[in-house]
Amino acid sequence: MSEPAAPIVETAEPAALRWLDRLPVITENSRFRVVWDLVIAALVLITAVVVPFQAAYRHEITLAGSVLIYLIDLFFLVDIVLNFVTSYRRAGVEVTDRRRTARHYLRTMFPVDLIANLPLDALVLALGAGRVVGPSAVSVVLLLRLPRLLRVVRLFVVLNRSQQQTWTNTGALGIIKFLVVAALLIHWVACGWFVIAYMDGFPEDSWVAGQELEQASVRAQYIRALYWSIVTMTTVGYGDISPRREVEYLFAIAVMLLGASLYAFIIGNLASLFSSLDRAKATFWNRIEALELYLRSRGTPRDLAEQVHNYYEYIWARHRGMKADAMLEDLPGPMRLEVLLHLTHELLAKVPLFHHCSPTLRNVLLLSLHAQTYAPGGYIVREGEIGREIFFISRGQVEILSDAGEKDHGTLEDGDYFGVLSLLLGERRTASVKALSYCEVFVLEERRFNEIRKEYPEFREVLKKMSSEKTDRVSQLVMEGIVL
Amino acid sequence: MNIVTEESNGIQIVRLEGRIDAHTTTLVEEKLFSLADGGVSRMVINFEKLDFISSAGLRTLLSTAKRLREAKGDLKVCNLNPNVQEVFDITGFSTLFNVSASEAEALAAF
Repeated sequence: MSEPAAPIVETAEPAALRWLDRLPVITENSRFRVVWDLVIAALVLITAVVVPFQAAYRHEITLAGSVLIYLIDLFFLVDIVLNFVTSYRRAGVEVTDRRRTARHYLRTMFPVDLIANLPLDALVLALGAGRVVGPSAVSVVLLLRLPRLLRVVRLFVVLNRSQQQTWTNTGALGIIKFLVVAALLIHWVACGWFVIAYMDGFPEDSWVAGQELEQASVRAQYIRALYWSIVTMTTVGYGDISPRREVEYLFAIAVMLLGASLYAFIIGNLASLFSSLDRAKATFWNRIEALELYLRSRGTPRDLAEQVHNYYEYIWARHRGMKADAMLEDLPGPMRLEVLLHLTHELLAKVPLFHHCSPTLRNVLLLSLHAQTYAPGGYIVREGEIGREIFFISRGQVEILSDAGEKDHGTLEDGDYFGVLSLLLGERRTASVKALSYCEVFVLEERRFNEIRKEYPEFREVLKKMSSEKTDRVSQLVMEGIVL
Repeated sequence: MNIVTEESNGIQIVRLEGRIDAHTTTLVEEKLFSLADGGVSRMVINFEKLDFISSAGLRTLLSTAKRLREAKGDLKVCNLNPNVQEVFDITGFSTLFNVSASEAEALAAF
């Protein structure tokens, strides 16, 4: 084997697993595996519907039915083999060593798959070739197919895997799982409710006889049983079809308990499942609602509260309520950088600060800048403060106001920056800067500014180029005594 | 704050020493304006011994340059120390003035 040594101590491998070496390892999220999983999921659903239906309503072993079942079996046999060599994730690391994938499968899903795929019915048919006669023998063969229902477990394995791979909304997936389980349970109960009468040969006091369905078509029988299943499971209980024999009472009790549990599950979970469909939005607006209630309780003026609300509405629309800086803080530097480069690739093309930078400086700046959003009418800096940061406007328009807002010194917009004079010279700002529209601003704090200008002399050149493109504006502001 | 002036081939050389801050700006401003008003149109300011320049100092330079340019002259600066050079670069003043490395270079630029 040319595989690199796995970081585990290899013990003597059983000969039984040597055949694995001839198989390629299948990556858990490879296109092949995803498509295969989809096929398996579809086959699980077909099995879960057809097998109990055949056992309950088709009291004969038909060629078409058997071919379908054994064909599906063939797929599941291949699936078992593939599962031995399908990689899995352990603590975020993909394990691709064949021995480990095989051992992992043996320890986890293999026992279930084995039971679910044992062809007990075929065994009985083969052993008693030609002797499987009479309704009860046929029923036994059909009932022996029921362990295949365990394959439903496989469906959940597939759903969970697809959730991990595609980051599918867990709320939506929860609803899908719930609906599948509910539909299958209702179907199984409909099959079971009918089969208990059939097994005893439709006695006169059975519910089937009571409904005069003994000779009815399979469709009529199934619809009636399905109706009873739904009426009972949903706790509606019309009572037009009711148990008449002990075994039916027992079955009905079990179904009622199951139905009540399912009902409780629905009440308990469906609302939260639906609300979690957009969990991020719900969480975001819950927080804002709490803040608004607090502001109201403290007598905050209505227009200020409205400004706060509008601000958050903008933050939601533009950033999905995320403060990417804070969210990404825990990531290691290089990974954070990669995510940031991806998130800001459009912005990088628009913001002049980044135009003039080498890739190295651009990366350093990306990791050092904090994105901040300001609402219209909000102050970004105020007159009298000592500058502790530089602001790069990536989007929006601001106005410069001095003399407590009395005097207007014009505007700055996309691509402009301010704050450097006060910071470099240690002077108080002689004007305030107020957002005229929603403003997206990158903030560079004094400490990082000082570090970067020392470590990357190129940064000074970048700022020089940026300001040299606006010399008229620079000199106008200086002449007007504006220090920002 | 010390201001030394010298004339060379019709060009006024002004050597500033110390700091242009809140206390000394007026002094520098008065000196530069009086030179400009007294008929000087071409001026070189040597920053070799200037350690610091405030925003008001920058404004004085701009105003002086404006006056000189109105009189068809110009203002050139030279010998900026690293701190002042950085302020000039980052604020865009390096492109507003002709900055030279030495006095001779600045004089030759006229």
